Amino acid sequence: MDTIHACFKEKIGEVLLPGDVFSFRLPESGDGSIKSEKIICGPGLRRNGEEVRVCKSGILRHKQPNMYWIDSQQRRYVPAKGESVIGIVTTKSGDVFKVDVGGSEQASLSYLAFEGATKRNRPNVQVGDLVYGQFTIANKDMEPELVCIDSCGRANGMGVFGADGLLFKVSLGLVRRLLAPQSEIIKDLEKIFPFELVVGMNGRVWVKAKTVQQTLIVTNLLETSENMTSQQRQTLFKRVAEGSL
Amino acid sequence: MRDTPLSNCERRFLLKAIEEKKRLDGRQTYDYRNIKITFGTDYGCCIVELGRTRVLCQVSCELVPPKDSRPTEGIMFFNLELSPMASPAFEPNRQSELLVMLNRQLERCLRNSKCIDTESLCVVSGEKVWQIRVDVHVLNHDGNLMDAASIAAISALSHFRRPDVAIQGRDITVFSPEERDPIPLSIYHMPICVSFAFFLQGSYLLVDPCEQEERVKDGLLVIAMNKHREICSIQSSGGIMLLKDQVLRCSKIASVKVSEITELINKALENDKKIRKEGGKFGFAESMPKERITTLKREEAPVEMADVKETANEIVNRTETPTEVVSSPVLVAMGTAQVGEGIVNSWGLDEDEEDEPQTEDTKTDDVMVISDSEEEEVVILNEEAQKSTKLSKRK
Amino acid sequence: MTRMSATRGLCMRTMMELDQSCSVLREYGSEQSLLSKPDGSSTFVQGDTSILAGVYGPAEVKVSKEIYDRATVEVLIQPKMGLPGVRERAREQCVRETCEAALLLTLHPRSSVTVVLQVIHDDGSLLSCCLNAACMALMDAGLPMSHLFCGVTCAISKEGQIIIDPTARQEKECRALLTFAIDSAECNVLISSTTGSFSVQELQQCIAISQKASEQIFQFYRDSVKRRYSKIQ
Repeated sequence: MDTIHACFKEKIGEVLLPGDVFSFRLPESGDGSIKSEKIICGPGLRRNGEEVRVCKSGILRHKQPNMYWIDSQQRRYVPAKGESVIGIVTTKSGDVFKVDVGGSEQASLSYLAFEGATKRNRPNVQVGDLVYGQFTIANKDMEPELVCIDSCGRANGMGVFGADGLLFKVSLGLVRRLLAPQSEIIKDLEKIFPFELVVGMNGRVWVKAKTVQQTLIVTNLLETSENMTSQQRQTLFKRVAEGSL
Repeated sequence: MRDTPLSNCERRFLLKAIEEKKRLDGRQTYDYRNIKITFGTDYGCCIVELGRTRVLCQVSCELVPPKDSRPTEGIMFFNLELSPMASPAFEPNRQSELLVMLNRQLERCLRNSKCIDTESLCVVSGEKVWQIRVDVHVLNHDGNLMDAASIAAISALSHFRRPDVAIQGRDITVFSPEERDPIPLSIYHMPICVSFAFFLQGSYLLVDPCEQEERVKDGLLVIAMNKHREICSIQSSGGIMLLKDQVLRCSKIASVKVSEITELINKALENDKKIRKEGGKFGFAESMPKERITTLKREEAPVEMADVKETANEIVNRTETPTEVVSSPVLVAMGTAQVGEGIVNSWGLDEDEEDEPQTEDTKTDDVMVISDSEEEEVVILNEEAQKSTKLSKRK
Repeated sequence: MTRMSATRGLCMRTMMELDQSCSVLREYGSEQSLLSKPDGSSTFVQGDTSILAGVYGPAEVKVSKEIYDRATVEVLIQPKMGLPGVRERAREQCVRETCEAALLLTLHPRSSVTVVLQVIHDDGSLLSCCLNAACMALMDAGLPMSHLFCGVTCAISKEGQIIIDPTARQEKECRALLTFAIDSAECNVLISSTTGSFSVQELQQCIAISQKASEQIFQFYRDSVKRRYSKIQ
């Protein structure tokens, strides 16, 4: 086993705090054949010379072959390129809409960045509407920019939505758990009754079920599943499904 | 900072839910959220939680001269603050409309209702009276700040004890709590505000609106009442027309709510009194919910101090004593004396004394440059390719 | 104020009591994420001293306070009675400088980090409690930090004894009061705030004690974060 991976592997699934360090001084063995190893540091890990430092509190996660990151439960969103988010349109100014995504700055969304939009044929977007879009520009030094089309010019599920249904906010950790492929929470929830769900990486979740009552039940269940073990959650969901709540 | 805007989708959903008599947290129309009152270790300090809304109240007192118009009455002072902690929309030191409204309503509810006997706060007529100051801090804003603030204020006032005083001639002695038991305020009745939010031009009403509900409301009616069903103040805002029946219905609901809340406050006060009497532990530290996974408590922890002295000695010894600067006072002119360096002008000294490359020397020890700024020649003692090229370039 | 002659009767403490209480960190506790509005929040309780902290960030910044290459840190300390004064401003500055040292502010340029600290109860060691509450709230908010920090207060009594984590009573009697912010990486002193007179020797002793105590506080941080994540697999 190689050295760098070994010191990370030991800690997978453990809770780490800012300031924790993985140092990997390469062994200066005489043969001179230094095998170059690569690891990818995700959110919460930073390289600092010959060590990797943890800068957020959370659980260390690993993905094959060499990705590591810290899974934290923060609530404030920081835009990242390629992520899909739910935004609220706040102003229309000239050619762009300003969209609140919950970050430190409002994102801009061009009116041309919708499927089928042309200079003549402007999309119908009102202030206060919800949009589901993807970041094309998101870095710390520039104003983030959203689009509601993919690289082929198709909407692909993006655009204005939410004529009814309810929007609410949860922690970013829960959102990632919801979006994970084969998410257990969603699977458990689907068994109760059918509903529509839009999950943005910025912690916003939109739910629509058949009735207002059902929408509210889904909302409250999702909110409470934040701090529950899967067992607790399943018993709760079962009780709801049986109609005792 | 800006607060998150309310989307059209939320607005529509909320109104639709209200029409169907549903609320976000599953409450009924006339239900209050959970109310929790916790008293601190100080007298006159409490935190009230109304669902996720949280306010802190502290009552304090001070001896001051009375107002000229009322020489025999103590002074009540109310100050409600919207801490920026409570919401990103609250800015420090800004008199927002909401702040003025809340302050005014709190004053009307508690001062103008004469629920506190201000005459008993007089120490020496016309000279010294107690000023009771009520500070309310909003810690988290999730709607219905008014009710939470009024519950907190009246609970804190009922909990408060002022120091005992004795008057001998013109001398006023204030006794510490150890010397004489402090005295509670005399409170005639406990007015409590109950807020009603109206929606869709007054066709629907909700008790204890949460923040999102407040954002879509059309009008607000605040009724301050005590448990004897006496209305202490009533205020309608938002410019909504209400029918007589609606106001009457609201006052009926308010009377029920007020008696419930008064009972809760009394229970909390009694509980606190009992624990204090028994000498048990009380205060906020004790009331932390221990069953939550976000909470952790730890017992007292001793800190090893055995070898501290040695480490300290070691460090002190290791640091060299600073070289003492010998400086003799210089008398420049009559009546002045200076100590320290830089008194005598050193500009006139030889040029080679103020050696430029000194800074460079400290950075790179192995490169020694003997240079005279005017001279052409540069001699490098330690041969290092990079350095020499750099220097030759400079040349 | 209310405690006009509270100092009287305090001198009657026995040496026994003194011995017991001088080298002990009081009972402490914390709760995280207890407020719904802020991005991060925590209470920190040391004995009866209690601080509530709320953090917003990285959030929108006022144009007048914008810094082009890093985030602006603002710290507000709200006293329980009255309006913030000079004392609060001084404490705010201590906490702000500590936060600035620990946070990786360059990762979020042109944004703001606001830390609001509400005094819930003051029973001594207030500044150190502020620092601890601020650190936990920053952690809860998930702001990138190069290391953690904690605050430790030491009092030097008239007899020259060092009392760690003093109560308000002990603070009043002491000859000098020293508060240090200590970082988790190398146990260095980030800030120190002192009043009263003391020797170099005593200063070094206090620092050494604070560094020892800081280990326990950092362990407490770790335990509380672990507990918090205990239900997530």
